[in-house]
Amino acid sequence: MTDTQNPAKAAASQPSGRSALRHLLQGERPYMLYVAFVVMLIVFSLASPWFLSIDNFLNIGRQTTLVSIIAVGMTFVIISRQIDLSVASTLALSGMSASLAMAFVANSWVVGAVAGLGTGALIGLLNGVLTTRLEIPSFLVTLGTLSGARGLALMVTNTKPVIITNEHYFAIFGEGSVLGIPAPILWTLGVTTSGILLLHYSVYGRRVYAAGGNPTAALYSGVHIKQVTTLAFVLTGTLAGLASLILSARSHAARPDVVQGMELDVIASVILGGCSLFGGRGFVLGTLLGSLIIGTLNNGLVLLGVSSSLQLVIKGAIIVAAVAFTRR
Amino acid sequence: MKQSARILFSTLSLAASAFALSTSLGLAQTPDTCVTGVDMATLGPKGIVGQGPHGEKAASPDELKLTDEEAAKVKAGKFKVGISMQTVNLDWSQLQVQGISETLAKYGVTVTGVASAEYQVDKQIADIENTIQQHPDGIISIPVDFTATAPTYKKVGEAGIKLVFMDSIPVGLESPKDFASMISADSQGNGQIAATILASCMPKGGTIGLVNFGVDYFSTNERTKGVSEWMKKNRPDIIMKQVDFTDPSKVSQIAGDFLTGNPDVKGLFAVWDQPALDTLSSMRAQGIDIPIATVDLGLQSAIEIAKGGPLKATGSQRPYDQGVAEALAMMKALIGQPTPAWVGVQSLPVVQSNVLESFKTVFHKDPPAELVDACNSAKPKCN
Repeated sequence: MTDTQNPAKAAASQPSGRSALRHLLQGERPYMLYVAFVVMLIVFSLASPWFLSIDNFLNIGRQTTLVSIIAVGMTFVIISRQIDLSVASTLALSGMSASLAMAFVANSWVVGAVAGLGTGALIGLLNGVLTTRLEIPSFLVTLGTLSGARGLALMVTNTKPVIITNEHYFAIFGEGSVLGIPAPILWTLGVTTSGILLLHYSVYGRRVYAAGGNPTAALYSGVHIKQVTTLAFVLTGTLAGLASLILSARSHAARPDVVQGMELDVIASVILGGCSLFGGRGFVLGTLLGSLIIGTLNNGLVLLGVSSSLQLVIKGAIIVAAVAFTRR
Repeated sequence: MKQSARILFSTLSLAASAFALSTSLGLAQTPDTCVTGVDMATLGPKGIVGQGPHGEKAASPDELKLTDEEAAKVKAGKFKVGISMQTVNLDWSQLQVQGISETLAKYGVTVTGVASAEYQVDKQIADIENTIQQHPDGIISIPVDFTATAPTYKKVGEAGIKLVFMDSIPVGLESPKDFASMISADSQGNGQIAATILASCMPKGGTIGLVNFGVDYFSTNERTKGVSEWMKKNRPDIIMKQVDFTDPSKVSQIAGDFLTGNPDVKGLFAVWDQPALDTLSSMRAQGIDIPIATVDLGLQSAIEIAKGGPLKATGSQRPYDQGVAEALAMMKALIGQPTPAWVGVQSLPVVQSNVLESFKTVFHKDPPAELVDACNSAKPKCN
């Protein structure tokens, strides 16, 4: 586990995709999540004739896109010992910005993308600045932006959806595909790959681990913790903006009331994927796996015809069991 | 780093190629015969099909008209009425409130405020208790929950405040003792409209899926009942499968999985328009194009119908008209006149050919430019 006294060592000890395989082969508990995932795939494959198919895996991939993408950013935030509760509201407001920009500025997918990503980044910046400069706990700051951004999203269009008509926008973010892979999954792969490279193979990534693992030591080592943390919030906000583009492109409209409560799925994915809520530990591939586990559970239980109430019970029990098992 | 990146990208490329090779090409398509063969002149029930929550026979909104003498009494009373909604975040809610407020204003009745419970029982209980403290003469409300809110609604009557419900009645409340009237759309009738259109798109022996609200709620239960009973009576060859959702934000995922698990499903009924749009979003992602029918009309669903895509029809409520009826029932109650226990508001069939006119009927205003543009692009089928 992470050496909290030595940020440099802590950063160096974080798992990459390659080292994850080595740890798994050595039977380390956090990596048993991979085993749990495979067991889940086998169980659902045996129980439902529809589960084990390419179409269904694409289905799971598409459905987990929003959570997976935002969870990559959340991994940075949580490793740096912070939390961001505002991501779902940021997504809603970013979607409204994108659709309104296309309606009133220019009906161009570039304008929509800039507006959506920019709004997400701005909210992230606000979260970061308030947390690091005013030293308000991020829980409280992002609780405030959760409410404020959602309220603003509802207010700007008087709670009504804003229709999008740009076909390029639909294709790029929602309905297009390359070599049979749907655009949302390509975005997920791109973001996850970039997240892995940034967190595990860059100086910034090492500083994120250092900031979360032992802030005092990191400060004495010359790490500018405020900048590092603020950038993690900006990254998460921007990714929430990207998720809003994907959702609104699939829906052909942006709605201010979408994905309420999704921040819990995002945080659950990150924690399930091996990230510590106390900072300093976590990895992007684990986060992706966490979101896929939640998505696969959702999918498999529906395919088995389990009632929606029982689904909630089973999901809750499996998630708690998985986290407890991997943390022992 | 270079080696790791190479391994990663090679893996992704291999995965991409595998997906590309194996992705299914045979996707369901909407049949050309869809909606043809339906007589638009006779589409939809001519009267109220459903019964009230306690088996009441429906009264017509016409029975609520005020005589000149009654109108004068209302104006002289200078009454005040509060409104407690489950949410104001829907076209449906906003039109209801508009219908209520404009009608009450005509007769000099003041609206003290509009509370929005955001679907939370505890918030609605607090809303109603706060409204009682304002000492209004009447409250018009839609209950978020049948059971938990019942004791609070009883307090309204005990405080001498008249009560009119929209859409549902809490458990144990009886008319005229505890409330004056309940006004709702004919949900079964709306379900029948959706069923008629959907059946026209289905081949003999085809399978339809019902995307149903898995919470026991009177109006949504009635819609699904309207569809399934119509199918059993008129198209017994059609097989019905059902998937339930309890969290409206999860419909896209649940409907997508349902379609994956049931590839024989060639048509869908979604219980209201937003789940229908979320189902449509999931279908788009999967490249599936099968007909959907639903209940309720919003701007986005109207645009989808106008475009002639998978969303073929809706049995629409008339929320503004419902609001007018609620206001009239309230005013009758305020001056001590008897009111019917349940008033049903006629269904409205909406398809591509009448969507502009229907929008005007439902929203009491001209269609916005987005809807007109969508319709113009689909001429002559849309007019």
